[in-house]
This record gives sequence, C-alpha cells and structure tokens, in this order.
Amino acid sequence: MHMRAVRSAIVAGFVATVSLWVSGCGDQASNTPSSPPTGTSKPTAAESARFLTQSSFGPTDTSIASVMTVDYQGWIANQLVASPSAVHRTYIDLREQQINGADATKHVTQDQFFESFWRQAASGPDELRQRVALALSQIFVISLQDANVGKYIRGLADYYDTLTAGAFGNYRTLLEKVTLHPQMGLYLTSLANQKENAATGLLPDENYAREVMQLFSIGLYQLNSDGSVQTDAGGNPIPTYTHDDIAGLAKVLTGMSWYATTPNATTFFGGAADPNRDWMPMSFYPQYHSISAKTFLGTTIPAAAVPDIAGDLKIALDTIFNHPNVGPFIATRLIQQLTTSNPSPAYVQRVAAAFNNNGAGVRGDLGATVKAVLLDPEARAAVGASANFGKLREPVLRLANWMRAFGASSQAQTVNGPGGAGFLIYNTDDPGTRLGQTAMRSPTVFNFWRPGYAPPSTGLASAGLVAPEFQIVNEVEVAGYLNFMQGVIGRGVGYVVAPATTPDIVSSYANETTLAPNPPDLVARINTVLMYGQMSNGLQQQINAATSTIAIPSGSGVTAAQVQAALARRVQLAVFLTMASPEYLVQR
Amino acid sequence: MSANRASRREFLRLTSALSFAGSIGGPLGLNLAAIGSAAAQSAPPTDYRALVCVFLFGGNDTANMVLPTDADSWARYQSARNQGASPIALMAPGTPPDATAPGGTPAALGGVLPIVPKTSQPWPAGTVPSGTARTFALHPQLPSLQSLFASGQLAILANVGTLIAPTTKAQYTAKQATLPRSLFSHNDQQSEWQAGAAEGARIGWGGQFADALLGANSNPIFTAISTSGNAVMLAGQNTLQYQVAANGAIGINGIAGTSLFGAATGPATLNAVITAPGGASLFQSDYSAVVNRSISAAATLNQALAPITITAPTQYTNPVSGALANNPLAIQLQTVSRIIAANQALGARRQVFFVSIGGFDTHASQNAVQPILMAQIDHGLNYFYSTLTSLSLQNSVTAFTMSEFARTFTTNGLGTDHAWGSHHMILGGAVKGGDIYNQFPTVGVDLASTGFNNPDAIGSGDLIPTVAVDQYAATLGSWFGASPTVLSAIFPNLVNFSTSNLGFV
Repeated sequence: MHMRAVRSAIVAGFVATVSLWVSGCGDQASNTPSSPPTGTSKPTAAESARFLTQSSFGPTDTSIASVMTVDYQGWIANQLVASPSAVHRTYIDLREQQINGADATKHVTQDQFFESFWRQAASGPDELRQRVALALSQIFVISLQDANVGKYIRGLADYYDTLTAGAFGNYRTLLEKVTLHPQMGLYLTSLANQKENAATGLLPDENYAREVMQLFSIGLYQLNSDGSVQTDAGGNPIPTYTHDDIAGLAKVLTGMSWYATTPNATTFFGGAADPNRDWMPMSFYPQYHSISAKTFLGTTIPAAAVPDIAGDLKIALDTIFNHPNVGPFIATRLIQQLTTSNPSPAYVQRVAAAFNNNGAGVRGDLGATVKAVLLDPEARAAVGASANFGKLREPVLRLANWMRAFGASSQAQTVNGPGGAGFLIYNTDDPGTRLGQTAMRSPTVFNFWRPGYAPPSTGLASAGLVAPEFQIVNEVEVAGYLNFMQGVIGRGVGYVVAPATTPDIVSSYANETTLAPNPPDLVARINTVLMYGQMSNGLQQQINAATSTIAIPSGSGVTAAQVQAALARRVQLAVFLTMASPEYLVQR
Repeated sequence: MSANRASRREFLRLTSALSFAGSIGGPLGLNLAAIGSAAAQSAPPTDYRALVCVFLFGGNDTANMVLPTDADSWARYQSARNQGASPIALMAPGTPPDATAPGGTPAALGGVLPIVPKTSQPWPAGTVPSGTARTFALHPQLPSLQSLFASGQLAILANVGTLIAPTTKAQYTAKQATLPRSLFSHNDQQSEWQAGAAEGARIGWGGQFADALLGANSNPIFTAISTSGNAVMLAGQNTLQYQVAANGAIGINGIAGTSLFGAATGPATLNAVITAPGGASLFQSDYSAVVNRSISAAATLNQALAPITITAPTQYTNPVSGALANNPLAIQLQTVSRIIAANQALGARRQVFFVSIGGFDTHASQNAVQPILMAQIDHGLNYFYSTLTSLSLQNSVTAFTMSEFARTFTTNGLGTDHAWGSHHMILGGAVKGGDIYNQFPTVGVDLASTGFNNPDAIGSGDLIPTVAVDQYAATLGSWFGASPTVLSAIFPNLVNFSTSNLGFV
C-alpha cells in the first residue's frame, strides 16, 4: 500500500520520504543502537518483528502490534508474568484416555507429544516462555530417542512442562527439579543408582555426575566472567573437575529411584509401580545411599552414620550453583540459543552479571538473564551493525515461523474442538525428507549441535567464528529441508486424517492471498513477517518476477475457485522462495 | 587430455595447495601443510582402495565383545560382572542358550564364541597362565565375525586407545603422565579418536588421508563420504566431507521440474535463490556453498549409481525381542557398497567412508541394549563383506571399528561407566586376519579384599591402552597409500611409539 506511494515519491526525489520508507521497511540505518528506544520512540514494525524472531517462535501480526505498542521491555514484562498457556502432561492424559478408551491395546505414542508441542508452538500466547523452554531443552537435554525415556511419553511431557514452568524462575530450583525428575533419572541413569560396595568393587554410576557438570552448569574449563576460557602459565585451559570430582559427586547421586508412597526395595528396582511414577519426582531410598565421605569441587561431605540424601543433594547442588562458571556458561548458551552464535565477550559478561545478580541481590534469576539477553545493546543494535552477528535459524523454528506467520491451524482441532486432539504430526528427524531436528529428540545428551562447532573449510571457520546450527547442515539436509518445506507451504504438514484429505496443519494464507494480485505487496508482507524487512532488493525482484508469471485467470468461464487457486499459487511460490533463501535462513 | 594426465596434474596442484593452509585445527593440521608437495606424497595410485570407518558412538563395552577365557581371567570377569540387579557377565564357551531366560540376558544369549588366534598371545604380568595357550572368545551375538576371524579376513586389535606417549600405571597414578585431554568425556574422546584433539578440532585424520590422495580422484567431492552426519574424522584441509543418504544423493525437487507452483520460471528462480553466493553475512555464503555442492554432486552421483544393483541387506534378528528388524548399519553399508561399486564411473581411486551406529553408552540396561548392537555389527559387517566379495572388491576395501572408549570392568549393577583402552576389529580381504594384534592385557579390577592389583588397568578396571589410536590409524593410512612422511606429519606423536605399522593390513 504505502510502497506504491513511496515509489512515486522516490521518483519525485523526496529524500525525506525515502528515509521514512526505509525505516518503515526495516533498514535501521538511522536508529542509534546504544540503548533501547525510550519515550515516544517505540519500535517499528520491522524492529518488533526482529525482536520477536529472537524471542518467540516467530512474529505474528498480533505480537508485532503488541511490541510496537508496549515496547520491548513492556512485552517482556507481560511475558514474564504470564503462566504457561498449557500443560503438556494434561494433554497426554487426555489423549491416553481417548486412544486407550477406543482400543484397550493402544496407548499414546511420541506423536501425541508432538501434537501438544506444535499446538503451543503455533498459537500459544506465552511465546517467550516457550522459546526459552525450547532453549532449556537443548541445555538440560533428555530425548525421546532413548529407549527408556521413549516408554514414558507422559513423563517426558511433564519434563518439558518442568522446563516451561521454570523458564523464568531460579536456575537453582530448575537444576534441582531436573536432577530429581525420573525422566532425567532414566536418561542419565541416576535412577536406581546404588552406593559403592568395596568388597565386590561395585561403584556408583557416574553418568549424571559427569554430565550435570559438563553440560548443565560449569562446563569443562574454568571461565572468566566474559565466557572466555582461563589458561594457566603454559597457556593451557584449566579443567573445572577431575575424575575424582565425578566419582565423589556420583556417590551423592545414589539412593534415588522411582516415586512411591512407600519406598522400599521392590519399588527401588522398579516393582510395584506407582501409576504416577513416570513424572513424580524421584523418591529417596536411604538404604541405597552412600554414607562414605564424598569430595567434589573443593567441597567435602564427611562420612556419616545415617544416610542423608536431601542434605547431601543440597550441598552438591549448592556447590555447583555457586561455581563462578555458571553465570558465563548459561549466559553463552542462552545468547547462542536466542540471538547470536558469536556474542562479544562484553555481551556475555553483561548477561552473566544479570545471572549473578538480578539487581535485587538474587543469583540465578533466569527471567532476568533472558531479559538481559534480549535487551542487550548488541542484540538490539541495527541489523548489519556487526557483519556476522546472528545465527542460522534452527529447522524446528523455521517450521514454527511458518505456522505463526501464516496463522496455521489444525483441521483435526477444528473438528475436535479445543479440548480434543489436534496438530497431528510426526517427528521431523529425517534430514533427507524432513527437518533433521525434532524437539526433545536430540541424538545424544550433547544436543543437536555443539556450542563451539565451526563448519570446516568455511568462511566462518576462517574468520574464527562458530556456527553451532551448521553441525547438521550438509548436502543431504539442505535438500531435505527444501523438499519438505515445498510440501509444507504448498499443502500443509502432518498426518492426513479423515475426514481431511490434506495434511492436518494448514494455512489459508488469508492475509497474503488478498495481496497476491500485486506481487510487490505480497512480497512486502512476507518480508515483514518472515524477515523483519531485511529482504534484499535483489531477492524481492526475483520473487516478484517469478510470482508475476503466475497468471490470474479472468474473463467468462473463469470460476472464483480458479482465481483463488492461482492467487494461492502465487502466495505459495513467494513464501517458498523466501523460506528457501539463505537470506531468510540466517537470522541477523 | 587423457584422464590420467588430468588426474596427475590435479594431484600435483592439490598437494601443492596444502602448503599455504592456515592454522585451523588441532595438531593434525599444521605439519602436513608445512612440508609441501613434492616430499609429501609419492606418485598417484592407479588401483582402487577404500577405508570404511565404523564408529560405535557411546563407548563400546569391549570387555563383553572380546574376552579372554583362560581360567584366571574368566574368574575375575565373573566375580566383577556377575553381580548387581542385572548381571552382565556372559556365559562360558559352550553354554547353550536358555530359551526360557529373558531376551538379552547372558543366559538367553548362551556362551561366548571361541576364537583361536594364529599367533599365541603371550601371558601378561598379572595373569596366571593355564593350558597350552591363552584362549579368547567373542560376544555370543558375533557368529559371522567368529567365522571371518577363522577364515582370516577379520583381525582384532587389542587394547588401543588415545595416548600421547606410552603410559604406565605408575605414571598415571602419580599424575605424571601426559595424557590426552578429557579422557572419559564422550565428545572430547570422539574428537580425540577422529582428530587427535579434544572437541573443537576441525581436521580429522580421515580427511587428512583424503587430502594426501585427493588428486587420485577425478571428482574430489566423492573422496570423504559420510552416511551418518558431519564427522570431524572426514574433515581435511582441502577435503570437504560429502553427506549421502541411504538411497543416494537427495535431489532438490523444486529446481528439477518444468514449473514450480505453476510458474514456468519458478525452478530457475529457486535455483538462483538457493545458490546465491555472497550475502550480507558469512552464514549466508557458507550456507549457499553447501547447497551448491549438494546440487552439483547429486547429479553426478545419482547418474553413476543408476546402473549399480546391490542386493539389499536382509533384516537382522533382534536378540532381545526376537523380532526381525532393519539394521541401520547394514543399510548404511549398502549405500557405501553402491558408491564403491561405482568407483570407475566416479573416477574415484581413494575414498574414506564414515558410517556409524549409536547407543553404546550402556550405563544402565546393558543387557537390554548391548546384545542388539552386537547383532547389528555382526549382521552389518557380514553383509558388507559378502557384498564386496560379490563385487570382487573385497581386497580393495578395509573396514574398521572405532569408539570413543571402552567401559569399566566393574558393573554399577545395571551397566558400566566410561573407561579407556578398548578392542577393535578390522575387516577386509587385505587384512591379515585370524589374529589378535598387540598384547591382550590382564583384565580385572584392583580389589583390596583380595589384594589383586591389575598392572594394566586403573580405576574400575579401566585398561590403560598400550597401542595408540595414532598407530592404529597410521597402519590403515599406510595401506591406503599415505607415505611415511605424510603419516608422521599427520600424527606427530607417532614417534613416541615403538612402531608406526601394527601389521594387521
């Protein structure tokens, strides 16, 4: 709309109008990057869309309007106080009733978790919380690819609820909940871990002790407050822990097993199963807990006469929590998840400082940490202020972007109503035919990609930059993504379930079809919702040109349906070309 | 220009290109670049050879895969592992499987499978000799490998692991040994095995072998090939690893048709959009480079694969459930076989492949998991060797296993934790099989109650390797055609060890 008026203005040579157009469509050349806008200077549509790209599963008209109205801080403040919009465990219970009620031999499968995940991803209003929950699921990893976890769909759903509910709470609380969750107990094998037996040589399982330090809290090497690795006099990194620390911590993590109202030897080893043991926090079984002295990370719990699991666990988790590494470690992870793969040391330091002290003297406030990540001047600086700021969008988020940008809905949900099954979709693991990534199906506890990954023999590597999400990028995955999205954009995604004859999750492209008669308008809209106005002129021209070649039939004998079909094809082509482009794929 | 002359010229060009490589990567990277071309590599090969790395992700419990069955070792094995909620000690040779026992349990699997190495293994200190020679066996789910060992196509390398220099128990215990970084950490040891450095290494020795022999191939893109994701093993200075899916290269549908969403110019536009070079950030240009490679390689590869027919693998029997199932290892090896079979059409003379299966991190549920993985290895490698034989290429291909570490000799009651020295297998017509290479160590965990001290192990019976991954790799590299100069450049620590060629191939 305004684009046409502006074009004639440019032709007429009104520089002032040009700069208005430029800022309205997202070129922030005239914005000062040093601090978030104040006073009457609210974010533009493009700035809001960019912010939402970092802080949600993708911008929508509603969320863009909201950020434009209440500013970044206002939007974050609203999001921080909003409760989770749904409980995945409740949905699994509902679906189990439906599925098992219809056929007593059947139970929920992983697909039901995906239904719940995608329903929230497509339409849940707690957008920041969901985005952070996904980020936390890539730090405190458990996975449905594990044969044990894969048996407990509801348990995994509750684990995801735990991350969701704890997204803005305290890290220390979340660490404890994760440690005691039975699904983590299964995944990293602390469940039913027994104390040592000197006579037989049996030693406690060390799995969780190792990974809770290496991956969930302090990492392998001592860090400075800006996330850089400390080195000794010889220039070598300084390990944070040795095998002795792991062995000591492993002894603390003994004597926890399945929840039971009356824990005993039978329930410890998995018998007499409580119906809620898949999600209730693990129970303590003192008789299996080590009472010998336990030394780790400079702390010693003396030998005791009486086993004290709660006391030992508190000391262990407090010790980990108070390690100076946690701030920069978590700061770097969250920054890489949300805004950029290569934060400056100063950015990490500012976010770590927020973790260390939220301003009210509290350490570990995840809400304050997330806020620091998103409001930091480096994140809010104009696109292009730093040439390689940003990251490759992860495949799950690309699909989420499409669902949100184009108001995707579930045909089954429409039929079944809000209390019924919907968003009927499979896992998207296969890189050759789908996305190469599914939430909660990481191949290992090391997540889909490593924080320090740099793709070999690339410009990024030569420039000393990391690009974690490139770890799954290869000749198979890039092709699989394109083929998959061509289908998604053209027909929808998910299972085809009668009475529908198309994939369950579809978009009507209502807002886009009305603009399709004039491709530049269509492209401008797509540019805003998918690329916060950053689409290059060259790409706009390519998409305009190709889209324009799809003729809209007219004249006698032409039906409305034929016209709609042609308009729809224009939209699909424009959306596909956008989502296929490296410009879209890189979030800057 | 004949193919030979072109390839020789390309060969020299590429090897001389190595001299300007930057400082990217760990210890493997620098030295090869420094030595320059002419000294680096001898004349390009005219025959075909391929290395196939079978990576077992998670840390394979090789104490249950290759077992010493002499009386003394067996007694310690039973006392350490025949305990806990789910004992993992396997049964003695000759024990019939118990059909009434739960699937995957030692009783259900039956006894370990005897193998007789051609060369008598010396008795290690700490093991009391018995009988005429030390005896060995394989996991009960490895019957095909037992046969291949007997017929001389399979070799076993005992007690190999990541080392900087030979390390004794005394040095380790006194904390005086120079050790690879982050022993017992999955991601770091995977990187140490593949690239000689902890996680963050950018160059692997498979990629470096490819670098040294890149010029032997008309299509360098098909030199280092993976069927299971990006692996640092295959990354070289000049070699880019190439990913292929089970059914070959994935073509991009949208660029292939005559129209896209009804637009005749759609396919061409899509092609231009997705391959657009440059861009505002390195992320964009590096991404589109992969797309470009995907498109150009797919066309060539699929054309070369079209006339190739390889019999698909059968399903294998899951020993825990008893059900037939697809074997993810065999499926990958079928893809590898097809590419190997197409070597002439692809102009390939030297190729390094990477396939993998996971799930070996058996901290718990070892009985529910390890038997399945052993069955997959047995069925997959057997299928691979049979397929190569049907192509008359079995002498040209050497497959070998790797894993980030072995596991504790003790049990935690349900499974095992991370350890160090491990046993691995090498398979191929060129392999001098039927033998165990390197001294098989003393097994067992130090126990104050019995006074037993294992000179070959630390901690929970974790073996201290006596052969380094470098030596394992250099032996394979030598067969592959890398010269001694190239090998010492790739493996600077090789000089610390007594031999650079273990002799198994």
